[in-house]
Amino acid sequence: MNALHASLLHTPVLAVALTLAAYLAGMAMFERMGRPSWCPGVLIGAVLTAAGLWLLRLDVADYQRHVAALTLLLGPATVALAVPLYQQRRHIVALWRPILCCLPPAALLAALYAVLIAWLLGAPPIVLASLAPKSVTAPLSIGIVEQIGGSVSLMLGGLLITGVLTTLCVSLLARLLNITDPRILGFALGVNGHAIGIVRAFELGPTAGAFASLGMSLTGIFTALFLPLAWRLLGL
Amino acid sequence: MGTVGPQADHFPDGGDMTLLRGFLWLLGFQLLGQLVVEALALPVSHAMAGLLLLLAWLLVNRGLSESVATASQALIPLLAMLIMPGVVGVFFVIDEFAGHWTAVVAALVVGTFLSVLTTLWLMRRFMPREDKGRDAGSRPA
Repeated sequence: MNALHASLLHTPVLAVALTLAAYLAGMAMFERMGRPSWCPGVLIGAVLTAAGLWLLRLDVADYQRHVAALTLLLGPATVALAVPLYQQRRHIVALWRPILCCLPPAALLAALYAVLIAWLLGAPPIVLASLAPKSVTAPLSIGIVEQIGGSVSLMLGGLLITGVLTTLCVSLLARLLNITDPRILGFALGVNGHAIGIVRAFELGPTAGAFASLGMSLTGIFTALFLPLAWRLLGL
Repeated sequence: MGTVGPQADHFPDGGDMTLLRGFLWLLGFQLLGQLVVEALALPVSHAMAGLLLLLAWLLVNRGLSESVATASQALIPLLAMLIMPGVVGVFFVIDEFAGHWTAVVAALVVGTFLSVLTTLWLMRRFMPREDKGRDAGSRPA
């Protein structure tokens, strides 16, 4: 019995199957709950995966080594993001001026505010590096964190919280500042709240959704280019 | 395509290799990205470089092949599932970052509030007014 358990644990198939099962169950629960914006489906799936690891007495380090057989797909899936960006080229050309004026400072400040606040509160470099790409869509921020030396797990946790907080802040501030333009709201959701912001933007309408996708893609690319460079210059 | 006989079961797509061809293109661009990053010692990830190279290729060729479109439509919806194993790790680093959680939460909450505020302010300042004369909802431009 123990030998069987051990042999199951030493195959990537179990890790991959657990991941797929937890993800599918997590998404089904997310649907059942009425797609709550405060609790992304991925988070439910991650909790279920952690519970599965505990039940199977599978070490998390072993799990992550084995599941690499599946997450290998993250590379080509990230490259594939060039396609939606290419399809949005019309919007980018039509609005190059406001995009050029807004996107670099917005993406830069999204990283800077978080790093500055954490630094003032005495956080070590590894925490700062994990917080810096908090507004960048996960496939790109994983690449960034590997470049600047943060913790992928801490970064992904912060990323999910940032996405949820962005949807709350945009709703609140839109009311306070009396902003109703779906282009502005969508862009703010995408720039700050990555994929979670996009989901919220599509609830506001297709225009907001398109601008959120645009904001997310451009923020990701801009941040992936400037953050490792800034880190190198600061000597962190 | 007439797919009769025992082989039909093995090739349910009737020999349509569009997805595989697109997948190979994506892998090719990722490898090309790796090559460029390593050769020039660039501080970006291999996949990110592959993304930019594919984007440049699409812009230069002014066209998207069916295979690349098919493969990207198949892979992009999987992104959430592919990052989930990384998210699982956060439950196991709680002790590792004990003592820094106040800084992390403050940075996330206050930082996100400030950055949303800044983005909204910048966009309102620089975005041209919506063209009320035309059909505003149909095209965001």
